[in-house]
Amino acid sequence: MSQDHRPEPVRPRGPGPKKALLLAAAGLAVFAAAVALYAAVGCDLNDPDRDVKRLFPESTGYKTLYVSIAKRGGEDLLRKIEARLGDAFKGLFETADVPYTMYEIHKGADVIGYIHGTNQKGTYGGLQVFLALDPDGVIRGFYFQKLTSRAAKAFRALAFGEQFRGLSLEDFYRYDVVTGQEDPPGPISRIKNPDPGSEADFRAALRATKKNLILVDEFLLGNAHLKFFKG
Amino acid sequence: MKKITVFEVAYKNLLRKKTRSLLTVLGIAMAAWVLVSLFGFNQGYEASLNKDIDNLGFQMLVVAKGCPYEAATLMLKGGTGLKYMDPAIAEAVAAEPEVDGVTPMLMQVVFDPNKGETGGIAAFLGVDPASYPKLKSALPFKAGGWFKEPEALEAVFGYEVAELEQREVGDLYLIPEQEVEVKVVGVLERTGTQDDGTIFLPLRSVQKVFGVQELTSIGIKVRKDANMKAFEDKLYKLPDVQVVSLTQVKTTIMTLVSTARVMVFSIAVIAILIAMMGVVNTVLMSVMERRQEIGILKSMGALAGDVFKLVWLETVILCISGGLIGTGLALVTARLTDVLVRNLLPYSPSGGLVAIDVGLVLVTLGVVTAVGLASGVYPSWKAARMRPLDTIRSEEQS
Repeated sequence: MSQDHRPEPVRPRGPGPKKALLLAAAGLAVFAAAVALYAAVGCDLNDPDRDVKRLFPESTGYKTLYVSIAKRGGEDLLRKIEARLGDAFKGLFETADVPYTMYEIHKGADVIGYIHGTNQKGTYGGLQVFLALDPDGVIRGFYFQKLTSRAAKAFRALAFGEQFRGLSLEDFYRYDVVTGQEDPPGPISRIKNPDPGSEADFRAALRATKKNLILVDEFLLGNAHLKFFKG
Repeated sequence: MKKITVFEVAYKNLLRKKTRSLLTVLGIAMAAWVLVSLFGFNQGYEASLNKDIDNLGFQMLVVAKGCPYEAATLMLKGGTGLKYMDPAIAEAVAAEPEVDGVTPMLMQVVFDPNKGETGGIAAFLGVDPASYPKLKSALPFKAGGWFKEPEALEAVFGYEVAELEQREVGDLYLIPEQEVEVKVVGVLERTGTQDDGTIFLPLRSVQKVFGVQELTSIGIKVRKDANMKAFEDKLYKLPDVQVVSLTQVKTTIMTLVSTARVMVFSIAVIAILIAMMGVVNTVLMSVMERRQEIGILKSMGALAGDVFKLVWLETVILCISGGLIGTGLALVTARLTDVLVRNLLPYSPSGGLVAIDVGLVLVTLGVVTAVGLASGVYPSWKAARMRPLDTIRSEEQS
């Protein structure tokens, strides 16, 4: 699979011999303290070539785009996105400068869809919710790339992700991420929580999905779904 | 009638050719600027490196034999590669006179099936709440702080793991496989080290949760006056342990610093030589242009020593003025130099890279003055030995 666009920012400089030596030295010095088992934090696909082919078998290539609210519009844009989400961005890690990695999927010269993942705080750890979307922003695939939850198995089951297929931001606008209610009840209310004991994680998954759809709409779809937002 | 001093005469002579004098002063100022900045960089870089090494907390690490590089072993084998050592070894090490402090550690690794598509491993480092925070006192917290109780089900998250797990102070975290909840009490700032990816828990909690009573490593802070090499050899006599020391790391870094120092010194010498030639050239030219004037001075009774003193003083004024301006420039632009050098170097320590202190300024001014005195000898001698009649006659001929 070809990758016809390379990420713009976050390009680390290649380490020179001196840096490599010193980094090795520093690494040696602290290795006993810990193990760096965690890759650079973000919400990238673990294996883009493999994952794109799995989610879009018909694709012939993809473009990787890096965007952030801070760079695209700053505080004003953050406020608008929060308004569309119906909730404020919270905590240490949900901020305007979080870099979002978006994958634009191609079949020949045509864009056939998008893949985007968002981080979301769960009860016991972080959730990474990935969506595969068609060019109109309709969900064709939902999965957790990472999930820490007592009900992880149930949330990762295929049946849970299937419930999101066919939904779009238009549907999610009616869902209030704070109360967990949909007004009037519609397709979001029909999504079943596989483990009633993990209601917080279930709601976190829905919030992550709504946020994900808003970000894709804002950064890739030219706010095509903004007309459905009742504010 | 007001008596004019030699200094005033020298000063006025320099003002007669303002542009030339100014350019000469600027040449010396540039040399002084380079000198101060380079030596400031040299001492700043070395100090910052030493500080970074000290901030690591401990300079030696004792690990169970067969597990020399935990990170690499874990990457290759997961938790199965871990080797353990008897906790009594920590007590034995602590009793050594070279030791300033020890901290026992236990690392445990679990497979987390929900990390990524195919699962991943999560590592937990059990540290002693009484000794580890003291040794690693430079670790900065973004929020919260260290756990206090030895058996608390509490955790401190490195920055990256906290970001990945979206954990903040007060949040819960579930240890995979063990299904044990721990409460996050601290989140570290990003450090650029492996601490960023570490979940720290109290040592005894890790021992209890994972059912392991042994240790995987012991961090040792060695006394500053101790012979690291001899102490390292002594540690090797302990049964079934391997020692990883910062001695080699420090030696490598200091070798790099020494190499840099030689280069810096060479550049500084070249800069001074160039400036010196410029001064000699300028003053000599000035002497040649004033042959007749010097001849008249001498015919009026000025001694060779007076003429020598006058020209020499001119040189010293040029050099000291240049030295002062150059030193001032180096002080004013120290921050800018720091930023530029940091961008150019492939690796730079975390502290300030350019350290200019009073001593360096005084040494630079002393060197520049000495250079001025040395540069002025030849033109002054040349002026002093001029014969009045020859100089006046040569003027008439021209």
